[in-house]
Amino acid sequence: MFRKILIANRGEIALRVLRACRTLGVEAVVAYSEADRDSLPVQLADEAICIGPADARRSYLSAPAVISAAIVTGCDAIHPGYGFLSEDDGFAEVVRAHDLTFIGPPANVLERFASKEATRRLLGSLGLPTIPGSNGILRDDDHALAEGERVGYPLLIKPAAGGGGKGMRMVRTPRELEASLNVCRSEARAAFGDDSLYLERWLDETRHVEVQVAVDRYGRGVHLGERDCSVQRRHQKILEEGPTPALSLEARQELCTRAVRAIVSAGYENVGTLEFLVDRDGGFYFIEINCRIQVEHPVTELLTGIDLVATQIRIAAGEPIGFSQSDIVTRGHAIEFRINAEDPEREFRPAAGVVERYLPPGGPGVRMDSHLFAGYEVPPFYDSLLGKLIVWAPTREAAIERSRVALGELLVEGLVTNVPIHQALLASEAFLEGRMTTNLLDRVGSSAFLAAAARA
Amino acid sequence: MPEEPRAAERRPAEGRPPAGRPAAGRPAEGRIAEERAADHAAIERLADDLVPALIAKLSASGLGEIEVGEDRWTVRVRRPADGASGQSRRSSERPSRSQPGHAGHGHAPGGFEGHRSARDGGGSRTATHASSNGSGPEGGDGSGHRAGDGASNGHRVVATSPAVGVFQPRAEMTPGTRVRSGDRLGAVDVLGIPEEVVAPSDGIIGASLVEPGQAVEYGQDLVIIELAGRPAERAAERGSAG
Repeated sequence: MFRKILIANRGEIALRVLRACRTLGVEAVVAYSEADRDSLPVQLADEAICIGPADARRSYLSAPAVISAAIVTGCDAIHPGYGFLSEDDGFAEVVRAHDLTFIGPPANVLERFASKEATRRLLGSLGLPTIPGSNGILRDDDHALAEGERVGYPLLIKPAAGGGGKGMRMVRTPRELEASLNVCRSEARAAFGDDSLYLERWLDETRHVEVQVAVDRYGRGVHLGERDCSVQRRHQKILEEGPTPALSLEARQELCTRAVRAIVSAGYENVGTLEFLVDRDGGFYFIEINCRIQVEHPVTELLTGIDLVATQIRIAAGEPIGFSQSDIVTRGHAIEFRINAEDPEREFRPAAGVVERYLPPGGPGVRMDSHLFAGYEVPPFYDSLLGKLIVWAPTREAAIERSRVALGELLVEGLVTNVPIHQALLASEAFLEGRMTTNLLDRVGSSAFLAAAARA
Repeated sequence: MPEEPRAAERRPAEGRPPAGRPAAGRPAEGRIAEERAADHAAIERLADDLVPALIAKLSASGLGEIEVGEDRWTVRVRRPADGASGQSRRSSERPSRSQPGHAGHGHAPGGFEGHRSARDGGGSRTATHASSNGSGPEGGDGSGHRAGDGASNGHRVVATSPAVGVFQPRAEMTPGTRVRSGDRLGAVDVLGIPEEVVAPSDGIIGASLVEPGQAVEYGQDLVIIELAGRPAERAAERGSAG
């Protein structure tokens, strides 16, 4: 096991990793930017070190700053959290070159899965169904149009690098495809420094279901069930739950078993998530892999009782997983609500400001992962996630009931939050009946959704 | 206003400072949310638009410095002193820390706090130099070398670390040496690449706050620069504080 870990992230995930380090008996150093000097992870850390200014490019995204901080504080490993440098194979390689351990997949594994387009072909060849799409990266507009014709419209344009919905666009005609290519290229270049695009056929009314896996250095892999992340706004997840209400127990087991078999064959290592689209008939298609701990990992932790961050750290330290598939039992139902500083009344515009009062909810099966405290000033430089409310109960219905109570208790004063959209979801028939699809909120319109909930 | 978190003063080589130790260098009065929101908006505008535009203007013109102000904000962009003409790299590549008038604003390990204190420090802002506003806790009490976490008063400014790494001062930069703004005082080694530590102002090198070879974090106070000149005013302040 490691002696001392540098946590190169901020907000709730820095806190989550800090807690995992404590339970493992490993010292932790929180690396922070000037804008996060007063943040909760910095206050709670055993040790903290300022690595740069508010601008993430010179702090949380600066490989030299992060690695230098790890060296001068005597750390032997770096936990990147999610976002920032968490899936950067170049960073992982430099970390290794400095005799430090990157907590995540090794650099060569990250590199293998860096291109979404190549990953799709690799896992397709290992038995996972994929959505029909272009044959490789689009070389130019003519190639795109020819491939578009072959695959069939409507189509989704996707960047080979990155994620989070950036550079993605749905097109219905060749003319729309032609008009969108340049926009997608420049968005992808700006976001990921890589403007390679590929095409996938657009599936209407799909659900987003993802399988959590863990694979150790010795090729032993398990799945920890699936999560349903169909509640999205503009390709951003806002609520996740497990198990998925979309599939039967048998279908879920088949999905998870095939996912873990393929990813072990592909030589993956450490925790990761395979994302699938599920169509109306229950058919599933692999879309991409996330080589990091995810925002929504607590859903799985509540369902299985397994600490995923600790598991991630142990695997990176070279330990075997230590449990087998039959040891993993999923119990009950869990729902996670992302609490964001954004205004549902104003197109979810991000809000910054001071938390005047903060009262987290409690009770059986209620977990709040958040870095908020009264008096905390939310800096405007980073994403708008304030925390996550995760609720567990023996059944989906009971979890929804507990969630209503917990959301009602949650008090964040001084900032506008997206809590109203969660309350609207818990009042909507589509969610209550488990019929949410990834485009529903955008199709109905968030304001219409809020208004409907207010009437109900 | 919340209590100042203790972590604000932590350094890599130290443990947790004693609980309840008062934090230095912050304006004490509470501020209302709109003020903070306005500050955030201003900071974003400063970083994204204003400062780069000012630098471009300064490079294109023959001027020595440009100052603009708006509401509670003043930004001054100044060329390095003549002797440091070979250091234009700093202005073009690292705008947010390259101007003495910016980097030296208020106490060092919190550039943004520094901006705020430019407002709170009001009157003294234009006395000598933007870095000399009186937001620090010490008056001119001559209490020796306590730098107040980078807070500067009328007598001195502090050169801070441009990066996280290992500090090496230049051998010739001993206490008592006269330096000009932009002179190299030493470097912070980041994975073998030296990041220059420069004098934020003209003056005389005072105490070094860290040992050669010591690990430092970004923004950490490294070397005190006693401001040269205005001896009469200094003497007067000293007298009034006694």
